[in-house]
Amino acid sequence: MKKLLLILMFLVAWASASEVYFDSRFTLWKDATILIWAVNGESPVNASEFCLSLRRNNSGIGEPKCRELGEWERDSIAIRYGSWLSNNLEKGLPSSYLRARHPGMAAKIQALEDNIVLFIAPQGKNLQVAIFDETAQEPKAAGIVKANSDKIALSDDIASTFFDKRTKRRLTKEERLKQRTEPDDLYKEIPSLRIWAGMGIGYSQAHFPFTPDNWTKNHTRSRVKNYRATKDSVSLWNFIEDAAPYFSIYAGLTWHGFIGVEFMYRYSNRDMKTDNSDTIYRELDHWNFGQHDIGLNVLLSMTYNITPWLDITPLAFIGFQYTFYNEDIGLKDDVKKPSRSYEYRIKFEDVYKGALLGIGGQFVFKKHYGVDLRMGLSSRGRDLYEAPSPDAGAAPTTIGKSTIDCFVSLGFEYHWTI
Amino acid sequence: MTFKKSIISIAFAICMLTGCADSNHWTSSHPLYHKAPYGGIAVTGIENAFVITRSSWFAKRLEIDKDSMQIKGTQHCRKTFEVEMRKSYGNLTVLSDSAIIKFPEESLKLDDRIFIKGHIPEQGVTLKDSTGNEPPVVLILHEFIIGTDLKREDFFDYALIHNESGSIRKPDNVSAIFSYTLWDNLKQRPLFSAVDEIQQPITTYKLANLTNLIQIAVQKIRKNLIAGVDK
Repeated sequence: MKKLLLILMFLVAWASASEVYFDSRFTLWKDATILIWAVNGESPVNASEFCLSLRRNNSGIGEPKCRELGEWERDSIAIRYGSWLSNNLEKGLPSSYLRARHPGMAAKIQALEDNIVLFIAPQGKNLQVAIFDETAQEPKAAGIVKANSDKIALSDDIASTFFDKRTKRRLTKEERLKQRTEPDDLYKEIPSLRIWAGMGIGYSQAHFPFTPDNWTKNHTRSRVKNYRATKDSVSLWNFIEDAAPYFSIYAGLTWHGFIGVEFMYRYSNRDMKTDNSDTIYRELDHWNFGQHDIGLNVLLSMTYNITPWLDITPLAFIGFQYTFYNEDIGLKDDVKKPSRSYEYRIKFEDVYKGALLGIGGQFVFKKHYGVDLRMGLSSRGRDLYEAPSPDAGAAPTTIGKSTIDCFVSLGFEYHWTI
Repeated sequence: MTFKKSIISIAFAICMLTGCADSNHWTSSHPLYHKAPYGGIAVTGIENAFVITRSSWFAKRLEIDKDSMQIKGTQHCRKTFEVEMRKSYGNLTVLSDSAIIKFPEESLKLDDRIFIKGHIPEQGVTLKDSTGNEPPVVLILHEFIIGTDLKREDFFDYALIHNESGSIRKPDNVSAIFSYTLWDNLKQRPLFSAVDEIQQPITTYKLANLTNLIQIAVQKIRKNLIAGVDK
């Protein structure tokens, strides 16, 4: 059955026998004007029939107009180039080798405006077909179709082989003029100020990927006993969950596409690492902390115009942040009086200060809609430069003096330029 | 260790392929140039192609009067060229320069920076010999410059053509720089184009040496036409 299908497909392909040598995607206009250039003066297709074929084969073409290109069929320069093209049009030959060299011929092609020329020349049992538009002095598409004395069938064959593509609205005279004087999309000045605002999600954890486990396992695998006892208290991750998703909102601006600042806020909810084997926690319903980070980054970036609709801005940032912890603790309903350990449970500092360091990239589509990817490191701790006091020895240990984690984030942004 | 060695050899290969060295291409073939001419060829452009620079230097050595050096010298070159082409191809048709001089001068690109200039027949117009026959292939000689210590880069590489060469007191070589196109007269397309350079060391310079220079040039053209076939 499969074989039969293959043979059938082969037969269908062979019967139509049309072949495209190359097609560099010329612009097919809606309501296009097609000029039929039959090199020997006798067009094998009828202009009005060809228009009907176009409408049958391409529903988007609107109301095309077709006529024979008599002025080229009578012109000696065009006749010479036409016969040369027919002589040289071969399978596998790149279109650049078919360029019209004569300045008179080149001028004729350039003067086409938005009309499309359909070149037809007989070649044995086939017809050579080539398509010209104003943008190039060589055919934009070429190939062969099987010659057919039935003009309607032939028109259908040409229309389905070369004109079966999406159409574009034809520009008005004013629009054409404007487009010609418009600066190149890829050659625009860098805006002096670019502003963005966005929101995103991220994930942070204390363990750095691709590093040995034992670098961080003292912190990540730590458990809190009796509401305050841990082996080590240098990192907050000994007490609260270090791996958690976070939500962020941020806004920033870049001067001259190079240096910028960004304000950010992040929120994540982190559970306490309570040791569940400790019976004292039986009274406890929940114990977690809301982590609020507020920070300011300085960014260095460079914007690349990849296409008119996509700008890519790789960036590196460094900044500082303040972190606040908001405790949320609750006992089970049936517990009347909490234990003494509960009353003396661990307390964190009011505020932690830290640094941020990382790299990322902004992918801005259509100049406004941005997708932002970031990765980096952040730290939290107490101010290291406190004046030493005589009671330093007796002072309580600062919890979470050195708390470091890494993060990745994905953000969605809106961009403006000024 | 073998891994390291293979990395180095790959790096070297990449360097060779991308061309860390001088990478100008001096020839260009049409994708449909499948057969070099053999047995018969037509040639045109030879009436005006030959130019001798430093005519007084040559006049002194070839014992030709300085004022008639250009005429007599280029005539000698042209005749030698014809004789040598006839030796190489047997059936040689010489088309007068008027066959191509009426066409506008165009430039042909060989490489990113290498362009040759010449009169190239119009698309759709065939060249005919005096009896009205159309030779299938025509060798168009665009330029044939003879001088001392010339380099083809200085003539055809557009990044270098404005360089001025220092005055050389005692030349080492007699040089010939020549550009040509093998023209498919039936389909009117350039099959093969090239710029060649010959350096001939100077001992004593006589007319026989100039003849020899032209002989070497014709042999080089013939070899290049064969080597340029796009298989």
